[in-house]
Amino acid sequence: MLPGWVPRAAVWVPAAAAALWVLVLARNTSAGPAIREPGEFVVTLLDGVTFAGLLFVVASGFTLVFGLMRTVNMAHGSLFLGAAYIAHEVQTNMVGKDANIDARDVSLLAWILPLLAAGAVVALLGLLMQQLLLRWNQGQDLRQALITLAISVIAADQLLAHFGGVAQPLKWPGTVTHFFEIVGERYATSRLFMLGVALVVGALLWLWLNRTRMGMVIRAGVDDQEMVRALGINVTLVFAVTFAVGSFLAGVGGVLGGSFAGSVAPGVDGAWLLNSLVVVIIGGLGSVKGAVAGSLLYGMVVAFSPAYLPAGYTYYSVIFTFALLAVVLAVRPNGLYGRVE
Amino acid sequence: MRNKPTIRRLLSLVGILAAFALLAASCGDDGEEAATTTTAAPATTAAPAEPEPEPDPMEEPEPMEEMDAVVHLGILGECEGAFGAFHEDVVAGASLPFITFAGGASNSPTSALEGFSGAVVAGVPIEVVGIGCGDDTPDRIIQEVRKIVEQDGANVVIGPLSGDESIAVANYAKDHPDVTFLNGIAGAQETTMVVQAPNFFRFNGDGAQWNAGLGDILHNVAGWDTAAVIADDYSFGWTSTAGFIAEFCAVGGDVVSRVFPPLGTTDYSSYVQQLPDPDEVDGYFWAVGGSGTNASLEAFLSAKGDLTGDQHAGNLFFSPALAAALGTDIAGAYVGGFASLPGDVSTPAIEEYLASADAAWDSLVSPMSGMEAGSPRAAAAFGFFYGYYSSALAFIMALEEVGGDLSDNHAALRAALAGVEIDGPYGKITLDENRQAIVDTSVQQLVLNDAGEVVSQTVALIPAVDQSFGGTFSPTTPPPDRENPTCEARDLPWVGNAVPVVDGVPQG
Amino acid sequence: MSPTGAVSGSGPARRLLSARNAVVAAATALALMLPLFGSNFFVEFVMTRTMILGIAAATIVFLAAYGGMVSLAQYLFAGVAGFMIGNAAVAQDAWSKGLKLGWNPWVAVVFALAVTTAVALVLGALASRTTGIYFLMITLTYAVIGYYVFGSITPLSGFGGITGIDPPGLFQDHPVRMYLALVVLSVLVYAAFRAVAATPFGIALQGIRDDPVRMASLGFNVSLHRTLAFTLAGFFAGLAGVFNVWWNGQIDPTSISIGPTLDLLIVAVIGGTLSLEGAWLGAFVFVVANNYLRNLPLVDRVGITEARFSTVVGVLVLLIMVLSPDGLAGIIERVRSGLSRPGRPSETSRPPSPPSDAPAGAAAGAGP
Repeated sequence: MLPGWVPRAAVWVPAAAAALWVLVLARNTSAGPAIREPGEFVVTLLDGVTFAGLLFVVASGFTLVFGLMRTVNMAHGSLFLGAAYIAHEVQTNMVGKDANIDARDVSLLAWILPLLAAGAVVALLGLLMQQLLLRWNQGQDLRQALITLAISVIAADQLLAHFGGVAQPLKWPGTVTHFFEIVGERYATSRLFMLGVALVVGALLWLWLNRTRMGMVIRAGVDDQEMVRALGINVTLVFAVTFAVGSFLAGVGGVLGGSFAGSVAPGVDGAWLLNSLVVVIIGGLGSVKGAVAGSLLYGMVVAFSPAYLPAGYTYYSVIFTFALLAVVLAVRPNGLYGRVE
Repeated sequence: MRNKPTIRRLLSLVGILAAFALLAASCGDDGEEAATTTTAAPATTAAPAEPEPEPDPMEEPEPMEEMDAVVHLGILGECEGAFGAFHEDVVAGASLPFITFAGGASNSPTSALEGFSGAVVAGVPIEVVGIGCGDDTPDRIIQEVRKIVEQDGANVVIGPLSGDESIAVANYAKDHPDVTFLNGIAGAQETTMVVQAPNFFRFNGDGAQWNAGLGDILHNVAGWDTAAVIADDYSFGWTSTAGFIAEFCAVGGDVVSRVFPPLGTTDYSSYVQQLPDPDEVDGYFWAVGGSGTNASLEAFLSAKGDLTGDQHAGNLFFSPALAAALGTDIAGAYVGGFASLPGDVSTPAIEEYLASADAAWDSLVSPMSGMEAGSPRAAAAFGFFYGYYSSALAFIMALEEVGGDLSDNHAALRAALAGVEIDGPYGKITLDENRQAIVDTSVQQLVLNDAGEVVSQTVALIPAVDQSFGGTFSPTTPPPDRENPTCEARDLPWVGNAVPVVDGVPQG
Repeated sequence: MSPTGAVSGSGPARRLLSARNAVVAAATALALMLPLFGSNFFVEFVMTRTMILGIAAATIVFLAAYGGMVSLAQYLFAGVAGFMIGNAAVAQDAWSKGLKLGWNPWVAVVFALAVTTAVALVLGALASRTTGIYFLMITLTYAVIGYYVFGSITPLSGFGGITGIDPPGLFQDHPVRMYLALVVLSVLVYAAFRAVAATPFGIALQGIRDDPVRMASLGFNVSLHRTLAFTLAGFFAGLAGVFNVWWNGQIDPTSISIGPTLDLLIVAVIGGTLSLEGAWLGAFVFVVANNYLRNLPLVDRVGITEARFSTVVGVLVLLIMVLSPDGLAGIIERVRSGLSRPGRPSETSRPPSPPSDAPAGAAAGAGP
């Protein structure tokens, strides 16, 4: 075995080098060294944190479902995309036009109602999927992954047939579409709003898991399913509720992500399945705490690598996502907060 | 050890199989030769033609004369991927000229995908043998074109739709001299300029040509001296941007920043952050497509400021139809052209063209009518439909000119195609020596209509735009990429010839 | 000696083995004679693609059946080999992207396979401490990152890809030769995987599949075994990738994007992820469905058109996973055992994971 300091060094040496680079050395980059361009640094940091909020909302549903019932829901991205399209439909009907929607056309209600409608519909769809296709083969994780994969292929094709390939608008409400100054740079309130929603989701999730009876059953189930079953608790109901909540979170993520991009388009289902995967691989499957950590780390890499790579090398930023994964896998194969199986 | 006999048995199996393989390989070679000779035999009886590789010489021995007398038409559409929704549009576009000008009739009043029948050009019957289904990737389109040509026996192919696909199909065309290919609406520059397949014809502009006129107007009318560009990091983004850069620099502007976010970027904020601030540059040119169109604009709003019409311009993606999330502040922005013109320009020729689409089908399902059964003219007015339409039209004109002569690997037909002059509803189209269209293109401006919606309005027509941009692009110059073309002043043949358009009426 | 004790009596297993080999030999003979009577398109397109996809899918099956690892990175390795061929073999004066080194095509093959194997070794070492569903997710992530890496690094490819890649003279303008070579290669890959499964290494691998903790306590290096199996599978996937790029003439990042990656998994699933032969069977069904299904009369009335092929494939996979997770091979096996031993309860009704009813070759090797 390697001496104990090797994995630690594998984490801290690159981290320290990156910090030194960002703070002082990053001269020929689009952002510039942080000590000379504090505004750029703060903006990049905020970009990372706010994007991490969105990542967390999407990935927490994914990790919750896996943690309890060992189901890798490959259709998580389809639920994300489906919810975004439903929200688009509801919002354009409420606003009364489907192009050139200005932020001031969108009342707070014309955003929250689509959010709840989309979340509810998607939660129901997820529940149906779980009841019809996954309930009876519980424990066969590969079979379940392939079933949900088949569903995601069908869903993507049907959504394309129905909504077409052209991006459809989805907008933030006008009340959050403002800008403010921070260290001399302009920043959008809507991004902070997105982070706020993510914090609310996180807080509710924490309360649910830690302060309710069902939450405690779920946490116990994550640790030892057999024991929970043996205690005579209705596991079937807990599974169904958890799957519905996980799907609901994918739906909330879809509405947030669609509003964040300003539009809904085919292909984002695959992109967000991948984002969820990266987050949970880093954070550890099944751990909500891990989803927070994974979202933050991945969000930072996505925000910092294009901004702080030397001009002409920004195209290589994708390699840093891989490097992050590689370091985590090398040091902790089951993710930062993952349990050893 | 029990597994020993297993291994031995396996090894002997391998040995037997290998021997069998060698034996059969020699048989196979014989078979191949036999196939060639059987193909050659009927060919000698059939007068002038070279031995044409037939799809299946043994099962369906078809006399050569009959092959020559029929056009087996294949259409390469796009039913998955980013442009998947336009499948019916482009198949309809390729079909319409055969219905309008060759006596064909659609097989279904509500769908173009059922094909058409009864079309005859100069005595030659036209049969649709296959409709290909691309997904925006070269790999898939190669498989589809092989199926259409090698299995369905197409001898004329119309398509494909998107840039990198067309490079692959043009390369394929080189290996299949017996088939004539007409591009659909793909806009990669290299397809014609570099690959130069003698049997591949393109009757639409490339991505750079479509943006002709934009640099001139932005520098000389809008007063931009410096510009920043942001575009997708692949060939269409590069080519489209190249058309803007080449002309903007040619007339004296300077491009100070080029940002190319990768395809599939989710959060554009750190790429937008690389652009100069609005007080450091006169304007921005956008060529980000797909789901990135809105996402990148939203990121700009968040980081840099409002999207104002005087400081932003873009290629065809930057239009109310595709960038549905643009706000009303964008009014005033200039947008590059496409194969057709927006609805504000109405001439008798355009009206006749749109009416012919309505006459061919009762309704079509198109993104231009919100993915619901809508009036076919909505689909026909958009460039995807029109690109396929103009190729099919050129083919009919050429085949009529040669009296239906398809002999000698379509030699006469191809000579005629090279000389076709289309006086189409949206302008003149001729071909250059690389079989690439010289087209009339246009510049649009986003304006508010009476209802307060942003719509495209044509402000100028640019006649006779060719692919080379006054020598900026040639087979020996580097193709458009992240660094190329460089920013250089030069003379462009069409600068100064732009025809202003006022309220939909060309002035002059 | 056996870590599993999964296999019962040797007599039936041996009979099964020989029956199985007879079927494989007959199929091979048929495939080799196909150019004598099949149409050009069927041989040069349908069957050639079947063989390429079959070899690539067999690497998934090998890892799944003997190693308990479901890998979504196999098409990535095929792609890495293809990109390396594209960079190394395309002539300097050709118009194309990539490095255009202009090497001898056979040198390029060696180079491409060496690079692919090295990449598989590194990626395998990183993923080797995980297994099961976690392994699936990590390899999916590899696949998608591979897409972005080749898309972003323009000296190697860029999103436009590398075009105009010609096969070596041996195969150029000889599509039937390429097909026959692929048939022979398929047989060799098939035999190699079965032979490997019977070696001490293969037996240890299957032990690790069934009980990694116990194998580790017996002194086996679990992650090394997994890494080496993954590397071997990567090498063979690279071989399929070499032929794929020769056959296609071009490669670009979308060739290895999430779509084709999932398609390959679907091929393995259709055939059955526990049966090596199933890989080629699944490939055949997939390619034939892709090319001919839409030509059947009236299928468009039930929604099967070329435009909705993905839905058809999705429904097919869903049905297979719901009805018989062992794929077509599992269905065939069920019918066969139902016919020959009507009284016995079906073995395949057991859950598929862990794959205790592994293929006969493996079972014979791991026998008590």
